[in-house]
Amino acid sequence: MHGTAISDLARPSLTKGVRLQLDATTGKNVLLYPEGIVELNETAHEILSRCDGRTLCEIISELAEEYEADSNALAADVRDTLSDLQRRKLIEFK
Amino acid sequence: MKVPRPYALLAEITYRCPLHCPYCSNPLNLEGGAPATLSGTDSQELAPPNNGELTTEEWKRIIRDAAALGVLQIGFSGGEPLARRDLVELIHAAREAKLYTNLITSGIGLDDYRLRALRDAGLDSIQLSFQSDESGLADEIAGARAHKRKLDVAAKIREAGIPLSLNFVIHRRNIDRLPQMIDLAEGLGAERVELANVQFYGWAFRNRASLLPTREQVDRAREIAVAEKARLAGRLDIFYVLPDYYETRPKPCLNGWGQRYLTVNPMGYVLPCPTASSAIPNLRFENVRDRDLDWIWRESESFNRFRGTEWMPEPCRSCPQKEIDFGGCRCQAALLTGNAANTDPVCEFSPNRAMVDAVLHAINTSGEHTHDWTFRTNPSALPVSG
Repeated sequence: MHGTAISDLARPSLTKGVRLQLDATTGKNVLLYPEGIVELNETAHEILSRCDGRTLCEIISELAEEYEADSNALAADVRDTLSDLQRRKLIEFK
Repeated sequence: MKVPRPYALLAEITYRCPLHCPYCSNPLNLEGGAPATLSGTDSQELAPPNNGELTTEEWKRIIRDAAALGVLQIGFSGGEPLARRDLVELIHAAREAKLYTNLITSGIGLDDYRLRALRDAGLDSIQLSFQSDESGLADEIAGARAHKRKLDVAAKIREAGIPLSLNFVIHRRNIDRLPQMIDLAEGLGAERVELANVQFYGWAFRNRASLLPTREQVDRAREIAVAEKARLAGRLDIFYVLPDYYETRPKPCLNGWGQRYLTVNPMGYVLPCPTASSAIPNLRFENVRDRDLDWIWRESESFNRFRGTEWMPEPCRSCPQKEIDFGGCRCQAALLTGNAANTDPVCEFSPNRAMVDAVLHAINTSGEHTHDWTFRTNPSALPVSG
């Protein structure tokens, strides 16, 4: 699915079996899943730490406020990141 | 040389197993376990551990030491890990150390009570082995009536809400059933299916002539795997392990020796990979009963021998791929050429590639294939206690 196809009201959450955790060795956040580890950049971590029942729209506006960024430009980044993670079955939309 | 941190520990907590799969990668000589005597579905029927295996307290220390080294994931495997009565306690210890915990199991002996206890201890994921999609062939491969019980266990795992992977080892006898195996994984509601073409170590090396698929089978299977992966993307994660004899470049085994992974076997030997101790007999491996894990990972001869690229002979040394495939698999080089430092003979540039080609030639030209294989047996060095 292309990023723009995700509804504003979709609620992204980690797929069952995927865990968000701090890697004490590097100080970076990682996603852990069966036989796999993904190291997250700061943007991905900021997005994923809000995937707890909030809608995509809420996540985008919160991030725009926090980083004083233009929410239209930011929306594209957030959608791209989430659709990439969805393709890898690390998040799902409810 | 800067020593990297490890990411994953494979905890082979016992070599005892109720199944007898002829492709098992365990060593042929399984020291220090007791034979499994399985009857009924009660895991208590499995023989108790004997003194050869590490104790609960020893495993707990290994788990803490591994986490301190940087390990983020642990796989409990074997043998059949359910044969250890302290499994729940060990999984609890792994979660306390913040490790992502996988249980890699045949499912035999996993009843409702134990499943709930595992879930409550924090188990993150179960990888359930299947031998095929239907009981006739599956039970023949397992050397035990196991398939129907596995179906039952898969349903219980779903009910318990634990993420489920189905693991299939693919070989000549079941490779034509790839679509049915994927259907089974989908039907059972698994999140993930691993379709791993058999790699030739341990019992599989001994049974290679009965397990190696033909080129025609391999080509068809690859097409199916690619198409199914695309069709099921986002629904069922398909992980397909290539049959390396049919490749022209070797697999990047372990992502490099001593780079990301370590294994501790039932008797406490710390290995760069599970098959190293049997495939490379002239390398001395350390035991957690003599040395701590940190020292073994950083300082030991066994972990440093093939770390990095300095050890490489030609053609690896001057190869632009050397940081990509790391010269392939040390165990395979040792098993096929007698020298673990050689280039993996799967590589088209290896002076020993003819060895692999001869094996492929034999399989692909003879019309008759042997079905005779030697089933894996259990450790028999010690009597069953009790």
